[in-house]
Amino acid sequence: MPLIKNNEFVDSPFKHMADGEALPEGSIIVSLKRWQAERDALMSRNAPLGVRLTADQSPDALGADIHHFALIELEFPKFRDGRGYSWARLLRQRLAYKGEIRAVGDVLRDQWLFMSRCGIDAFEVHPGTRLEDFRAALSEQTVFYQPASDRVRNVLELRHQVRSRSERTLVAAE
Amino acid sequence: MYRYDEFDQKLVDERVEQFRGQVARRLSGELTEDQFKPLRLMNGLYLQLHAYMLRVAIPYGTLSSRQLRMLAHIARKYDKGYGHFTTRQNIQYNWPKLADIPDVLADLAMVEMHAIQTSGNCIRNVTSDHFAGASADEVDDPRVWSEIIRQWSTFHPEFSFLPRKFKIAVTAAPKDRAAIKVHDIGIVIRRDASSTLGFDVYVGGGQGRTPFVGHLIGESIAAGDLLAYLEATMRVYNQYGRRDNLYKSRIKILVHQIGADEMRRQVGVEFAEIKSHGALALPQAEIDRIQAYFAAPAFEKLSDETALLASRKKQSKAFAAWHDTNVAKHKVAGYAIATISLKPIGGVPGDASADQMDIVADLAERLSFDEIRVSHEQNLVLAHVRQRDLFDVWQKLDEAGLATANYGLISDIIACPGLDYCDLANARSINVAQAVSKRFADLDRQRNIGELKLKISGCINACGHHHVGHIGVLGVDKKGVEYYQITLGGSGDETASIGDIIGPAFAENEVADAVETLVDTYLGLRQQGERFLDTYRRLGIQPFREKLYAAH
Amino acid sequence: MPQVLTANRLSDGEVVYLAADGAWVEDLDAASTLVTKADGEAALATGAEAEQNQQVVQAYLFDVVDALAPLRPIKKREIIRAAGPTVRTDLGKQARV
Repeated sequence: MPLIKNNEFVDSPFKHMADGEALPEGSIIVSLKRWQAERDALMSRNAPLGVRLTADQSPDALGADIHHFALIELEFPKFRDGRGYSWARLLRQRLAYKGEIRAVGDVLRDQWLFMSRCGIDAFEVHPGTRLEDFRAALSEQTVFYQPASDRVRNVLELRHQVRSRSERTLVAAE
Repeated sequence: MYRYDEFDQKLVDERVEQFRGQVARRLSGELTEDQFKPLRLMNGLYLQLHAYMLRVAIPYGTLSSRQLRMLAHIARKYDKGYGHFTTRQNIQYNWPKLADIPDVLADLAMVEMHAIQTSGNCIRNVTSDHFAGASADEVDDPRVWSEIIRQWSTFHPEFSFLPRKFKIAVTAAPKDRAAIKVHDIGIVIRRDASSTLGFDVYVGGGQGRTPFVGHLIGESIAAGDLLAYLEATMRVYNQYGRRDNLYKSRIKILVHQIGADEMRRQVGVEFAEIKSHGALALPQAEIDRIQAYFAAPAFEKLSDETALLASRKKQSKAFAAWHDTNVAKHKVAGYAIATISLKPIGGVPGDASADQMDIVADLAERLSFDEIRVSHEQNLVLAHVRQRDLFDVWQKLDEAGLATANYGLISDIIACPGLDYCDLANARSINVAQAVSKRFADLDRQRNIGELKLKISGCINACGHHHVGHIGVLGVDKKGVEYYQITLGGSGDETASIGDIIGPAFAENEVADAVETLVDTYLGLRQQGERFLDTYRRLGIQPFREKLYAAH
Repeated sequence: MPQVLTANRLSDGEVVYLAADGAWVEDLDAASTLVTKADGEAALATGAEAEQNQQVVQAYLFDVVDALAPLRPIKKREIIRAAGPTVRTDLGKQARV
């Protein structure tokens, strides 16, 4: 599946590993279940680690180890299932997660901007997706009423020329 | 009322362009119907029985004359010359073409209107008190807060794919004219001893298949924290609301399943976390900015026109009847709140022709500070009429068929469009409303009966709000035949209650008789000053059930 | 019981019915009556194709009493759908000459 990050198609070095599969060297993504069962072994690996969360799995389940993950995949089983938007915000806001949050599953054009605002920065898109459509979709809306988990200045800030508190938090954390 | 600044205007303009693109991609086949459907729903476009249906938002039911004229124009140009005002203070058009919708939305955007989020699994139109800014009993104008919530909830990136639709209502008076307790979130604004505003947040009310009255989850939330509290509530719902069963996916089911205490706790945890980041703290400057739009109009210094009105009422019995029923007390001396009935005897409840809309717009512009309200009871309101102008207003309304003197009476029926229009319906509702309306056409009889809120829904989705009708009627399909289940004792006000099912359902041609029997039962049992609802609450369902099923 | 295939036209939402020649007609009486199960399935396939080609949406079959004109739907919903709102006889198909 094509992967878009930073407005470009990129390759993903991460390999998805099924729950019983033998693990190769290098970057891998495992299910939450597998990580919970094999935590110590997985944590001691010398390569970037990713975890794939299903729509009903809160990132809280990763506990204090969350920053060990280079990549967290949030599954959107059907585009109508909007739980991933809250999981992404939870990751960025409360858990201060700095790694890649990747949307996978039924990831369609008219969700990309919302996903991006919630802190998702990588998108596994349907084959045939054109980069210009991705860029266009992300710029179809330029006015944002509410703060989210991105860096855009929302309308309240623009109206009253206040520097975003969320922006300050993001900057301070770096 | 609120006026768009450059940001508000840009937002709707961009949305129009975005939807134009989406429609083009649909018509070209680049988008399938399955992919397009949530997009068109988020722009208020349904596919109904006969055609598409467009639901235009009327934020907290407030309109200017310019906007109402545009709604009339849209009815004429793109539809069949009329519109339907709904139980969520919106307007629906029943015959638009998909290919025309981008132009309709562009026309709406020109007058600061839109159809954003009037459908779909997102936060819908925030509704409020149709007497806001005019009634003496309010502690603040609830529309200020409705507007703040409207903006925060528009294109909210986290809450656009909720388990189900989400409805918020706001009131600021002890008398609840916005039915907040049967909303997903209902807000009551109060003032404490030091006159500071506090927001009571009720969660988990709702009608439909499993009706519930909302629970007080957040008490006396400070104004600056309101959005943070709402965001916390929405986040809990988005994460844990059920997505496996369409009929169990509203927040009311979640509250029912985990309990109000647990809901309060979970929301509290999120609330504390969101507050700690501060991003949603509502700046006083923004509160002030929006409050300025809802400042009182330039009321003249007048006295009540007791003598003049008495004289007019003597002149015209019809005016007297209308004044007694449809005119409510205004907080300012010399002014009045006039309700425009969209329930002519035997008519379609809530419908207005384009010509009628123009007439109301003219009256509002001339005689009510250019403001019209839409109530969730499917009537219109001129909230600031000088008492000395009431006769003039009444005459114009009467000429236009808008002066039925039945506000709050039995023929002031709320009815959903039902099987005549709606793809979801099991039975027709409008015909039943018409039959009851005609049966009780006599105005003296109606006035003798007094306040009686009759509400009719054509299916379990309860868009006619039958659960909170003093008499509620629910249309069902029994082996292909339309039947009607009657409930009693529902109420949408601050004493909110869900109606009780009285017994076996009635055939279509029996409903008016059944209602008549119930009314006669009440008249025979009522005590001094009791409305139908009061007598029911005093005596319970038994006497009504006995009389009803003895007779039928 | 014979059936008819119906849908809504994509561009304007008009209720349409599948006719014998494969055209989509606005008048129920011009619709093709589908007698066998195979007829019904073939019609559904035609409907699916028309959806793919952006002609119609939400194609489905409904029952009629028999194949004799005027066709009478069994369900009240389809009766209303074929005519127009019962409370506004000046609107919809029923109002067309």
